Amino acid sequence: MTSTTKFESYFHVLRDVIRTMHSITNLQEVLDVVVTKTTGALDAKGALLRILNRETNQFEVRAACGLGEKYLAKGPVNTETVLSTLSEQDKVYIITDIWNAPRVEYPQATWDEGVRMMVDMPLGIDETMGLIRIYFTKQREFSGDEVDFIKTVAMHCACVIVRVQLMESQQSKFSHLAAQMDKLSSLGRMAAGIAHEINNPLAGILLYSSNLSKKVPPGGLLEEGLKIIVKETQRCKTIIQGLLEFARDRKPQRALVNVNDIMESALGIVENEFHLRHVRVKKQLDKVVEKVYLDENQIEQVFINILLNALQAVEDKGIVTVQTVVDQEHKKINIEISDNGCGIAPDHLKRIFEPFFSTKANGTGLGLAVSYGIVENHHGDIHLFSEPGKGTRFIIEFPFQVHNSIGKGVHEIS
Amino acid sequence: MKSLKVLVIDDESVICDACNLVLTEKGHTVDYCMNGKTGLIAIERGTYDVILLDMKLPDIDGMEVLKSVGEKMPGPYMIVMTGYSTTSNAVQAMKLGAADYLSKPFTDDELIEAVEKACAQQ
Repeated sequence: MTSTTKFESYFHVLRDVIRTMHSITNLQEVLDVVVTKTTGALDAKGALLRILNRETNQFEVRAACGLGEKYLAKGPVNTETVLSTLSEQDKVYIITDIWNAPRVEYPQATWDEGVRMMVDMPLGIDETMGLIRIYFTKQREFSGDEVDFIKTVAMHCACVIVRVQLMESQQSKFSHLAAQMDKLSSLGRMAAGIAHEINNPLAGILLYSSNLSKKVPPGGLLEEGLKIIVKETQRCKTIIQGLLEFARDRKPQRALVNVNDIMESALGIVENEFHLRHVRVKKQLDKVVEKVYLDENQIEQVFINILLNALQAVEDKGIVTVQTVVDQEHKKINIEISDNGCGIAPDHLKRIFEPFFSTKANGTGLGLAVSYGIVENHHGDIHLFSEPGKGTRFIIEFPFQVHNSIGKGVHEIS
Repeated sequence: MKSLKVLVIDDESVICDACNLVLTEKGHTVDYCMNGKTGLIAIERGTYDVILLDMKLPDIDGMEVLKSVGEKMPGPYMIVMTGYSTTSNAVQAMKLGAADYLSKPFTDDELIEAVEKACAQQ
């Protein structure tokens, strides 16, 4: 091949790779183009593209061309073999000694395939995420132009992989969120139905028991028993009110408010309980806090829920820290409530926002579920970090710019 | 305390019976209806001082009953009872003429207090 036609063919390959990249709906198409076109342009026997599966920590074959079934059946390659000699991402490895090169995991199979030389090009932007291996049937010089060409292909290919992986992870995050919202809303509807049905029989129990308790001899066992029935029925009423509160369609009534003011007001409400337990509150409120469109009452409820959870998690004389930080770069305000308490066990952590999930003897399991729903309705995010024995940290984020004109408070996920 | 004529409209017999027991012990007279239509007929025919009205009835909605009473036969002191209390439906009931609101479950004292407020109003 003359050098002009060679460059032409490189150009065509790059053009094809870039074209597929821009029209991608699936990653496979790009990977297939990369292996077939590179094989052609380098006049090679074939090529193989492996991508690192972070769950199994193995390089799995994602695209191949020009290689026999028997060779491909060898399966994924362990990361150790590849990464141990892959210290420099930008480096092209030329393997001529098939039998002794440490990078060759299956020398016999490679030899039987008729391969006498291989070129490895790592794929990656900040870290290695894959590898393109090109196979040749005879040993030959690999020119500087060829190295440049394969590097350019690898760079484009790595960009596509990163983009697709990011897209996939966002997609899975959103479908998880959608499933969570769906679960919350169906549980909510169910709760409302049950609450309604239960309040009627409870009304009968409460009317008769409260009435009877006045007719029995005072101070006796009967009076005591009836008073317990009255008290416990009233407790059921409180639990059901909590359920109904949870199930209610909570459309935020937003206004431009200062998050620090809401935090101060929430702290004022729980102050007494903190004082009784000798739990100290450390305040680190950002002085230049931006005003945000929020429903003051709902957000105060969220803060109170989390503060009371923190109070229950710490021993007497524990410390609860509240912090507000303006994140100008991401146009967000972060509110952090952390404690140095008992922490949350990892298997509880997964279920912590589920309605009716509670680790407390008297908990309804609705506080955090309600809080989660409220923050979602404000287009905010709620994150939780916890380590048993060390403490728990809640971070709530609200964007600056969301106001009344954006939706009516209901998060739509399609 | 003046004896009051009370009508309970609720499809749950246990509630009708319990209200009957509690209120008759206090010297009031109690009738009851198990649905909205018979309730409306009873209100039209009788001369009740107080109506205890459940919001969820098998035939017509409690709000509809309130509306009809307000339009056709204003007079009785209406107390709404509901197992699904929200501020907004309490406000709506008040706008339609309800004088008070009892959220289920309630104690005998709460019932007596709500009913006897009618005397103070009259």
